[in-house]
Amino acid sequence: MSTLMKQTRVMIRANLSSLPRRLAISLSMALSVALVVCVLAGFLAMAKGFETVLTGAGSPRVAVVLGGGTHQEAGSDIPASAIRTLDAMTGDIGVSRDTAGNLLSSRELVVPVDVKQAEDGTTRTLALRGMDAVGPMIRDGITLSQGRFFAPGAREIVVGDHLAAEFGLHVGDTVRLGAVDWTVAGHFSANGSAFESEVWGHLDAVRAAFDRQGQVQSLCLRLTSPASLGSLQAKLSTITSTPLVAVSEADLYAAQSGRTASLIRLFGWPLALLMAVGATAGALNTMMSSVSDRTVEIATIRALGFSRLSAFLGTWVEAIILASAGVALGLATAWLAFNGWQASTIGANSARMAFQLTVTPDVMLTAGLLGLAIGILGGALPAIAATRLPLTAALRTRG
Amino acid sequence: MTDTQEPYIALSGIRKGYRIGGEAIPIFSNLDLAIPRGDFVAIMGPSGSGKSTLLNMLAGIDRPDAGTLRIGSSRLDQMGEAARSSWRAHHMGIVFQFYNLLPMLTAAENVELPLLLKPLSARERRTRVDKVLDLVGLAGREKQYPAMMSGGQQQRVGIARAIVSDPGLLLCDEPTGDLDRKSADEVLEMLRFLNRELGKTIVMVTHDPQAALYAKRTLHLDKGDFIEEKRAA
Repeated sequence: MSTLMKQTRVMIRANLSSLPRRLAISLSMALSVALVVCVLAGFLAMAKGFETVLTGAGSPRVAVVLGGGTHQEAGSDIPASAIRTLDAMTGDIGVSRDTAGNLLSSRELVVPVDVKQAEDGTTRTLALRGMDAVGPMIRDGITLSQGRFFAPGAREIVVGDHLAAEFGLHVGDTVRLGAVDWTVAGHFSANGSAFESEVWGHLDAVRAAFDRQGQVQSLCLRLTSPASLGSLQAKLSTITSTPLVAVSEADLYAAQSGRTASLIRLFGWPLALLMAVGATAGALNTMMSSVSDRTVEIATIRALGFSRLSAFLGTWVEAIILASAGVALGLATAWLAFNGWQASTIGANSARMAFQLTVTPDVMLTAGLLGLAIGILGGALPAIAATRLPLTAALRTRG
Repeated sequence: MTDTQEPYIALSGIRKGYRIGGEAIPIFSNLDLAIPRGDFVAIMGPSGSGKSTLLNMLAGIDRPDAGTLRIGSSRLDQMGEAARSSWRAHHMGIVFQFYNLLPMLTAAENVELPLLLKPLSARERRTRVDKVLDLVGLAGREKQYPAMMSGGQQQRVGIARAIVSDPGLLLCDEPTGDLDRKSADEVLEMLRFLNRELGKTIVMVTHDPQAALYAKRTLHLDKGDFIEEKRAA
């Protein structure tokens, strides 16, 4: 081991062993770092959970056709004539067909509906998606967890597992959506994605119940392969009656999640950084106090011949160790408090969308690095101060 | 020593002062001092006479404003901070008034500190530490912490730390200033032994005339110059 390493090890040991003498201020530094890390991890976990739930909803094998010049389902409208033209197309248009040669497609309409929560009687707005009977089969990752799917034309709904649990909607229950009652025919799972925050029913029944006769917002199509989206778009451009655009379901939901996740991060980062500035000032104060407390020890060791660098490293490493303790505490708290925590927001269809905060390794890494940066920056100046202590202090001061 | 021998410590034309609040405070204007190898010198003088300033310069902690300061073959007045730090590690031991032991280290670990600056194995360091602790009468107390020891024992650990790397020069700053008479005498006997038997050159700053009697000679520092005390034969 080099002499510098040996010197530094002694300095670090001397510093850490004397921590009990300044326990309160050292704890306050670690706690302030923990707070910053916990807050940032919370915001990042929220953004990550939101991204996960929306990106999980999208499959590259599914195309969503939107009309009316919009790239969002809410403002989209596809005329029946355009759908008939598409259905009439023969040959390979990039869309899978059933055994009868019909396109695997589902006409869809999303209606916001108010539902009372069983728990406290409060009303929440949910998304009721009307779709053709083939709709659930077109999508990836949809499995029936209880009951059966809705019957064509019937006032029946299937409810995502997440909503069923939250709203106490059991199979066979009757629930009022709009002006009419609907029967819960089954529950479905969508791997925890945004679809689990939706209620699905047959398109005709939804249109009839909400007086949306003939309306189709989007057309969901099963692609032959992710690469065939281009072929579909080329075919759509030949339909001149209305502008139609085909986007992959994955891209559609990724774009939605990107906007909201960015917004969450936009709030989270400035708050965490402001807190980090405060914590850095606290770390600076703590470490200056540490250097002051150890003046005699540092000066004594330097008087024996130890280098300035070892004095610098000893103080710096102490700051980083304290920050690391804060990081560990902050991450543990964030994990316990936020990981798996259920949250909800207003989704793209003005309806409630539930998601789960996820403290992932990259969330922990990002928040942890910010915490370490506090120690690195807050410890640097006091470490320099430790190298500039007057050695004469060692000769005439009671240790 | 003969007149032709080079002194071990040689100060010539030393000028040193401090500036306090814009006012220049001169300490030495033209100080000369020669100490032969193997000498044991006590330096006495009133407060403010410059004893500490002299000791700091001899330790390489402070530098003269002008003049020549040579110890052995090293010109301390020409060395930078890092070089003086390295010089201290290899050529000199310091004994402090308040022992300045690190409270979180055991006696053996405190003594070992200067050896960490040398390329020695753990086994070699341990051998040397055991040897000097035995020399100062603390064999068997290697694992005791300073708080578990008397003042006299702590100062003996301080002396062991000062001599463990076998330096030629020992600088002692009021080494008995915090001890009772009995402990002080034990420590002074120890210093005399190191001087007589091991040939260490010792410079000791003290206010205690009885402590000074253990040295071979006493220099009184007053008004920036030395006056050697005459002793009865």
